[in-house]
Amino acid sequence: MNILVCMKQILDPEVPARDFRIDAARLEADRGSANLVTNIFCENALETALQFREKAGGTITVLSFGAPGAEDTLRKALAMKADAAALIVDESDTKPNPLTAARVLAAAIRKLGAFDVILTGREAGDWGAGQTGALLAEELGVPYVAFADTLDVGLRIKRQTESGWEILEAQAPVVVSITNDEHNVPRIPKVRDVMMAHRQPLTQWSVAELGVEAADYYEVVELAIPRKETRCELVDVDTLARRLAEVAAG
Amino acid sequence: MSEIVLVIFGSPADRAALGLAGAAEQLGGAARAIVVEEYQPEPVLDALVEACRGADVVLLSNDTYSQEVAPRLAHRLGGACVGDGTALSFVDGRLRVTRQVYGGKANAVIELRRTPAVVWLRARSFAPGVIPSESEGPGARVVLRGASVEPHPHRSLATLGMTTRIIERNTTGGSEARLEDARVIVSGGRGIGGPEGFANELEPLAKLLGAQLAASRAACDAGWVPPTWQVGQTGKKVAPELYLAIAITGASQHMAGISEAKTIAAINTDPDAPIFKHARFGIVDDYRKVVPLLRQKLAELKS
Amino acid sequence: MSTATREIYWNISYIWVMYALLVPTLGIGVWGMGRRVVRWRRGGAAARFDRPAARVRRLLDHSLAQRKNPIFHRLLTYGFIILTIATIVVALDADFGTSIMRGRFYLWFQSLIVDVFGALVLVSVGVAAARRYVARPAKLVYTNEATLILAAIFIIALTGFLIEAWRIQATRDPWAMWSPFGNLLGRAFGAVMSVEAMRVAHRGMWWLHLVVSFAFFAWLPYTKMKHVVTSPLNIYTSNLAPIGAALKSVDFERERLGVRKLEDFTWKDLLDLDACTECGKCTDACPAHAVGKSLSPRDIILQLRDLPEGSGVIQGASAPEPLWECTTCAACVEACPVFIEQMPKIVDMRRHLVMDEAEFPDGMQAAVLSLEKRGHPFSGTQATRLDWADGLDIQHVSRTQDAELLFWVGCGGALIERNQKVIRATARLLQKANVKFAVLGREEKCSGDPARRIGNEFLFEMLAKENVANLTKYKVRKVVTPCPHCFNTFKNEYPQYGGMFEVQHHSELLAELVADGKLAPAPSASVTFHDPCYLGRQNEVYEAPRAVAGASVEMERSRNKSFCCGGGGGMSFVDEPADKRVNQERAAEALATGADVLATGCPFCMTQMQDGINARKGAREMRVMDVAEVLWEANDGPEPHP
Repeated sequence: MNILVCMKQILDPEVPARDFRIDAARLEADRGSANLVTNIFCENALETALQFREKAGGTITVLSFGAPGAEDTLRKALAMKADAAALIVDESDTKPNPLTAARVLAAAIRKLGAFDVILTGREAGDWGAGQTGALLAEELGVPYVAFADTLDVGLRIKRQTESGWEILEAQAPVVVSITNDEHNVPRIPKVRDVMMAHRQPLTQWSVAELGVEAADYYEVVELAIPRKETRCELVDVDTLARRLAEVAAG
Repeated sequence: MSEIVLVIFGSPADRAALGLAGAAEQLGGAARAIVVEEYQPEPVLDALVEACRGADVVLLSNDTYSQEVAPRLAHRLGGACVGDGTALSFVDGRLRVTRQVYGGKANAVIELRRTPAVVWLRARSFAPGVIPSESEGPGARVVLRGASVEPHPHRSLATLGMTTRIIERNTTGGSEARLEDARVIVSGGRGIGGPEGFANELEPLAKLLGAQLAASRAACDAGWVPPTWQVGQTGKKVAPELYLAIAITGASQHMAGISEAKTIAAINTDPDAPIFKHARFGIVDDYRKVVPLLRQKLAELKS
Repeated sequence: MSTATREIYWNISYIWVMYALLVPTLGIGVWGMGRRVVRWRRGGAAARFDRPAARVRRLLDHSLAQRKNPIFHRLLTYGFIILTIATIVVALDADFGTSIMRGRFYLWFQSLIVDVFGALVLVSVGVAAARRYVARPAKLVYTNEATLILAAIFIIALTGFLIEAWRIQATRDPWAMWSPFGNLLGRAFGAVMSVEAMRVAHRGMWWLHLVVSFAFFAWLPYTKMKHVVTSPLNIYTSNLAPIGAALKSVDFERERLGVRKLEDFTWKDLLDLDACTECGKCTDACPAHAVGKSLSPRDIILQLRDLPEGSGVIQGASAPEPLWECTTCAACVEACPVFIEQMPKIVDMRRHLVMDEAEFPDGMQAAVLSLEKRGHPFSGTQATRLDWADGLDIQHVSRTQDAELLFWVGCGGALIERNQKVIRATARLLQKANVKFAVLGREEKCSGDPARRIGNEFLFEMLAKENVANLTKYKVRKVVTPCPHCFNTFKNEYPQYGGMFEVQHHSELLAELVADGKLAPAPSASVTFHDPCYLGRQNEVYEAPRAVAGASVEMERSRNKSFCCGGGGGMSFVDEPADKRVNQERAAEALATGADVLATGCPFCMTQMQDGINARKGAREMRVMDVAEVLWEANDGPEPHP
């Protein structure tokens, strides 16, 4: 099985609300003191891939499209025992929309080879568009399954629904977006693997080298932090019971 | 006049479907509705591509199938997709959609630059509207049956000419009612400490309040409750009259799923937990002490 | 007088048998000790022979004066030393032609002192036996070996008296009065035994005494009695640095980064294992053990000691759970009378599990991940590094030239809301005293202490190097911090990475300011001070915080014997079972003093003790405050909420 996992590096979503600010000119979050982390769903995807490789054998390549600092994400993935890594460096100053990202990723994937399974996270913790995987599938002309949490041989895919789960059968190649589950919590790498990951080679391209142009898809025209102030009233159990009963009764 | 198409997975009588109609009314009204009765990814997508040709706007709800289909539908029609919309408007002929971003910390307005605009919405956040019926003309309401193929894998994908199909559907045990439609929700977080807390403390409490049970991501990732209980930025978006958050910190990713809740109440041992900045009232104490007492009081009030 | 002596080997023939028995005795004994030495040498290097003067002083204090030991053990030791010297004197006179055993020396030493100490040995054995078999303290280890050892010592001492008694009586020793106990015993026998009978008994008992003594010494290296050799050695080569500096760094070139097999330890660690007397004081002092958890430092040492030679693989020999109950408080290290370092070995074993296997408790994993991603261990916190500074005029270190010191806030201080008040109080006190300080603000990163204690030395080194580089960049010379963990790390662990700073705990600086009259003192009040382990026991700072808080009430377990709050060693990040909480045990102790205020000087202690008091308080209120908050109240009134 040739597995590819797309991984995105984003601003730490756990930045405290107090420190979260908007850059009004650029209509995106201000970097501030926030650290850069790997999107958690991409980590879930890598963990899913690692467990799938244990069952089906094969190799895992990780791919990231972002700033040069996204190399950290790829090094961490290599420390978790991904086999190879590639980085597409975004030199543009504008934030890409999901279609541009999908086209860039598709171009890189075509250069990297033939893959049986391509995994993405269900959405990114910053913009949360939740489309890149689906658009990537369309760009590559392959099928797509969303909200999966487990992969099995024969290409059986388990995915979550509102009321439970489903099993899908799929033919490779297929794009699958991964959501979190108690079983795909990302593993902690061993220190020796972290140290060795820094010495592994990394393929790198620029967007221009891949020959992809930015797509006009959609644009952020407003971005604001909603103001919400509530004073919480601390009560005793009796009062709580009464209030709850009132509201519940309607 | 924009041609607005509603794509409904499930019953057109559902609150979600009615919400779609309501959202469409804000834009000038839906021209037609497509009701998808059985879902298999490829046949449905192919059929929707045909059925939505010529549309300016396609609206879907925030269920699993809608989210899986919407971006691909947009791509095939040469349009653009955006999701989790909570407000819509036309500005200079272009559709603008409001949605939460950055884990619920900010609201963005996105302007779509291609047509059709394929948008999936938090349908229940919109006031219910009226879905076009057959009486309004041919094609006003079309029913799509996607599963012209039986789900049992007796025949291979290749012979069927498909590349993906659903072969098994399962529901996790529990109430049939959907969390998104619940009036009252009792929700537990990391502080519950284990599945026993949910089963022994929260479940009886929920019964007394006529509430549905939910959980934060931490509790689901720990395997204490099924993932279908997860409420948050990734998880169910709920809009109950009352949301009782028990042992939930209240980080923005969780709050993103309950921003439409009318009243939030909280029980937490940490007086500085962010949940108290959003709750109307609450108690700072261990839920293991409070909940049994609460159940007692509620039982007394009932009698 | 000058002729006072006795006939060596009176009544004994076939002396050559004694010399013959000496051969296997020495052979077996030396072979036994030799094997232990071979085992120690399998371990890695350790530099423990520097500063001989200090080492000798420690030897005198703890091997000779045995300050940590009960009286009966000291008497046993001195008794054995005296008796051994007496035996050597006999051997010198018998085999080397000397005439030491004569006159005054014979009477005062060889007779009186030997007799008295022999009796004390018997009494001490009696006390030991009563303790072991009647009082039965839980910390002792009950084995057949322990019983046999006591019995052997008793027999050796008793037979010694019997021999002496019969000799004195049978030979009508003119100097009998100089051996009071032997004399008394002899008189008693004389009343019922004939001289001939006494001679026969004497002969038999002499050989019994010899055989048991020889057997005892041959057997010694194979039992815990080897501590008569290994303990002084261990005390001499013990760690002279403060307990807070006990952890060693890791060589990242090695195949294994932590301890998985015995040879991953240093030779000193392996010597530690052989110095153990099975006294159990460490387990008795362990806070985890006190609340019913499975951790027992004594058992860990003994399990390591008893590992079979061949495999030496530690995991599998003992389950890992106890390792994850340790708060790294080092009460075990403090309690050990022979200076074994139990806690550092636990950390060494943690290092293997964390760095080589990536298997450790979930809560600690979350803390480590948070450290890697955002430079603090408090995953999910909504607090920021500067929340505490709202409304205060605080300078960033890059913006001020005349700062005398860097006020290192620490993650616990900045990101836990309760502790923000402590930081504010401290900052206001410093401002009031006109101390020019600066902070790093958002550039502050965790000192790395939790990473190191959990066992991730790799992450610790990374953080340490980053912090040292950052502080060096800002030309920081002095660091003052309210967190003892940061204090310990900066003071004892950063020098290795080039970070040579003058480091003070905030209570030390505040005490100086009060003494200099720059701040009003807090009046002596109904305040009891809980010594944080990393400030007190591990760095010996006891008085400054007490002075700052005006603490006049002492808990029973205080200063170096303070009982941990339960928060160190990464334990703040894991859930403890409800009935086994270290902080509640300590809270009960604090409440029992009846004091109005429980003062402490650590963000972890603050959180733990507040939780503990809340859980245990019942009807009684007890305020939990940092020493800085107590001092602030005396200087300007209660701290308003930010």
